[in-house]
Amino acid sequence: MNEALVIEVVRKSVTVDCAVEEAFRIFTADATSWWPVEGHSLRGSEVREIVFEPQVGGEIYELVDSGERGHWATVLEWEPPNRLVLAWEVTPEVVGTEVEVRFQAEDDGTRVDLEHRGWENAVAAAVEKRDSYDTGWGHVLGKYVQRV
Amino acid sequence: MKTNRHPLDALGDPTRRQVFELLRPGPRSVGELAAGLPVSRPAVSQHLRVLEDVGLVTHHRNGTRNVYELDSGGVTVLRDWVDGFWNEALARFKAAAEKKGESR
Repeated sequence: MNEALVIEVVRKSVTVDCAVEEAFRIFTADATSWWPVEGHSLRGSEVREIVFEPQVGGEIYELVDSGERGHWATVLEWEPPNRLVLAWEVTPEVVGTEVEVRFQAEDDGTRVDLEHRGWENAVAAAVEKRDSYDTGWGHVLGKYVQRV
Repeated sequence: MKTNRHPLDALGDPTRRQVFELLRPGPRSVGELAAGLPVSRPAVSQHLRVLEDVGLVTHHRNGTRNVYELDSGGVTVLRDWVDGFWNEALARFKAAAEKKGESR
């Protein structure tokens, strides 16, 4: 009854057939090679590159042909090749959520565990940013609704 | 969302926003909310109705009291969509990582 709002954390695991260092490198520096930009980026097929600035406070952004950047996330923790935590900010409605990715050596490769958490913060953070995102929201929610 | 009104428009009113903030730690009855605010109980009820109309809060009856809480519906939909997105993204990551591994 008196519990605060809790929304289940998104948890995913995948085992890849390569060394930890390589898995970490491909996930971050080489994200352009695998990220499904079509439908999962700000500018879709115009996206030329996904840039991971490799340090705490670094930015993750998409770069389009015209040279414009689209901000996705900020690096909160950076421990190559084992772990990283990102403040996920690609659209206003996910601000307040965090993505943690861990890379662990296993016999036959690397186990990658991903956690996307903090959904309770998403509503509240969006409300706090109401003024700056006043116009952005309608656009983003429109896109979101089209996609769902 | 039950109306076309934008959820964040409902929070433009400072008192209404305070009501919303008071619900962040957990469910509260109308009486409890009114005790923490400089407005009357009917006024609080009115604000709660507006918040409920746009899908930000929900309520249930507990005896004679109406207890309100934040409605996670919209965020839950988003969370579930993100869940599916990571399935796709990680499958592509796996394919890319293993392709590179082979070519070494």
